[in-house]
Amino acid sequence: MRNIFIIAKREYLERVRSRSFIIMTVFIPALMFGVTVLPTLLLNKGGNETKSMVVVAADRDTAESIRSQIEQQQDQSSTKPENESGKKRDLPQTHFSVEVSTKATPEDRAALTKKVNDKQLDGFLWATPDAITAHKLDFVTRDTSSFIENGVLGQIVTDALRRQSLKSRGLAENDIEAALQPVEVDPVSPLGKNAPNPQAMFIATLGIVMVMYMTVLLYGINVMRSILEEKTSRIMEVMLSTATSKEMMAGKILGVGAVGLTQVGIWAATAAALAGYAVATSGMIKQIKAAMNPTLLIYFIVFFLLGYVLYSTLCAAVGSMVNSEQEAQQMQFLVMMPMILAIVFITNIFTHPNSSIAVFGSLFPFTAPLVMFSRIAMQPDTPVWQIGLSIALMVATIYGMVWLCGRIYRVGILMYGKKPTLPEIVKWIKYA
Amino acid sequence: MLTIELNKVRKCYDQFVAVNDLSFGIEQGSVFGLLGPNGAGKTSTIRMMIGITAPDSGQINIFGKPFERKALHKIGYLPEERGLYKKMKIIDQLIFLGELHGLSNSVARQKALEWTKRLEIDAWIEKKVEELSKGMQQKIQFIASLLHDPDFIIMDEPFFGLDPVNATLLKDVMLDLKKQGKTILFSTHRMDQVEKLCDSICLINRGTAVLQGDLKTIKGQYGKNNVQIEYEGNGDFLDKNPLVSTYNNYGNYVEVRLAPGADAQQLLHMVAGRSRVNKFELMEPSLEEIFINTVGKTNA
Repeated sequence: MRNIFIIAKREYLERVRSRSFIIMTVFIPALMFGVTVLPTLLLNKGGNETKSMVVVAADRDTAESIRSQIEQQQDQSSTKPENESGKKRDLPQTHFSVEVSTKATPEDRAALTKKVNDKQLDGFLWATPDAITAHKLDFVTRDTSSFIENGVLGQIVTDALRRQSLKSRGLAENDIEAALQPVEVDPVSPLGKNAPNPQAMFIATLGIVMVMYMTVLLYGINVMRSILEEKTSRIMEVMLSTATSKEMMAGKILGVGAVGLTQVGIWAATAAALAGYAVATSGMIKQIKAAMNPTLLIYFIVFFLLGYVLYSTLCAAVGSMVNSEQEAQQMQFLVMMPMILAIVFITNIFTHPNSSIAVFGSLFPFTAPLVMFSRIAMQPDTPVWQIGLSIALMVATIYGMVWLCGRIYRVGILMYGKKPTLPEIVKWIKYA
Repeated sequence: MLTIELNKVRKCYDQFVAVNDLSFGIEQGSVFGLLGPNGAGKTSTIRMMIGITAPDSGQINIFGKPFERKALHKIGYLPEERGLYKKMKIIDQLIFLGELHGLSNSVARQKALEWTKRLEIDAWIEKKVEELSKGMQQKIQFIASLLHDPDFIIMDEPFFGLDPVNATLLKDVMLDLKKQGKTILFSTHRMDQVEKLCDSICLINRGTAVLQGDLKTIKGQYGKNNVQIEYEGNGDFLDKNPLVSTYNNYGNYVEVRLAPGADAQQLLHMVAGRSRVNKFELMEPSLEEIFINTVGKTNA
């Protein structure tokens, strides 16, 4: 036990002090900051420009109706920036200064197009009766990349045309307003109003599962690398004169695992801090935060640790078998295959947490950490016996793998030269 | 008292017999040479002594008791395959290996400082291993195996890759340790390097002991039938000489093995008649010669 601790301590201290650890630890939160907070900040900045546009229709009524609808929309979004119901309109918009025109001849269109080309005009909407009947209007603009704007414009024009159409059939303003009042469908968890909504759950779980996947992958490969390094530096035999190969393997896995936990811990703390900041700007992150309950956190730690121990044990065996980085890279893909497959199917499992593939994946020990955790997160009433069975199967597999890989490791670390063949590895396992 | 005793120890890898019923013992406070060509089974034997591998059959007693891992804290091992963590500081590395041998952190640090001072490498302890020369790395390795003040020291090819200055330094330290009553095992195929240091030897070839015992006794058995001659002039007296069995001529220096029953005095007269003799000495055979002779016989 003492030796395991000494070896783990060395591994931990050397790694945590290393430059690459510090870079990784700082870089990933910087990336998180880059994709969460920065875009919000930038969007807030870019919203203050004004664009001039012309609405062209055959009759003044239609044109005016569209114009008033656009202007009304702008008023709404500028007076209610924290609009709870209209999520999409939270985004700061471009302001349009709108003119109307009833000259709808092809010559007029050519003239307006020229104006847009000459940058005298930002765009015009061609709402001729033909186009309205076809439900397809042209919005001629140089700036075709503002998809959000175009989308919003589409909704506004649809709204305006509906109002116009209802009005022409003699409906009162109030009746039109009532008929067009949008209905909101809120996804609500069966656990009640206070439970996080499934959409937020989806994003949160996907994020956590990706972190688990990457960390297990990264630190499993780290175990492999560092064993290979010990092997090539020939320090193995010096250590074997006082520690057993089991102690060396256990110490390594514990040490590297502790580094992994430290790093995930730092990231989690950073993420929590960033979320605290971002909550003010986005309702979604608030929802995600709500999704993270303590039970789930405990499940995360359990499945992360089980997954890490299982994969790092396999990696230790591979690290002891190979003699060079290239050989290691070929092998690590094979070892990580089940994890990669689990990630490929993960969104499928999110949407169908009770499908037979999800149940199988959550019980199969090599995919269980990702799949079982996903099922628990997406579906809080996952049968307890399945969770229990999944954990039991993993523990049993880890036990067997530690035995098997320990035997491979014991012989492998003293074998230099060519890559062993499968029959040779089987022979190693059989050695006394 | 025997520090270590091997009794009919055997180790096979598949069909290959690496160590074949090997038996020997090493007296406490003596220097023992485990000698043999490459692939003779020396390293396999050592690995069984310190529990890296287990013998298929036979018994190993260490410090008077059957092997147990606790004994490893009293053994210092310098393996043939040497290595250190390249990116780790010397002092941290020594403390780490000291701790693995049962020392506390502070004792390990203190011992590391003492030894680095003694081997004149204390100015480098804050450096990383990769910044050191090969010779310095060897010294660090050497210190690592002695840090915990072991009673039994095993050195596999200790002089391999050492320059003469460091080899002498190492030799002096070993002699000093012997004086303190430590038991030392040298394993090597370079017999000339350890010949003068060993009290007793075991010569192994293809996993089997071919010759073992007290070095003086062994040499005595072979008798003083070797002659070293330094001469000036013609060396053709060696050809077709009935007194000479074999010889190794270096120009004006020759090592001659006498034919059975030949008298050295006769040879002296003969040589003196033809060339100028500066030196004529009757000698015991070198270990290497004994080795080549013995192994040649068993291989034939």
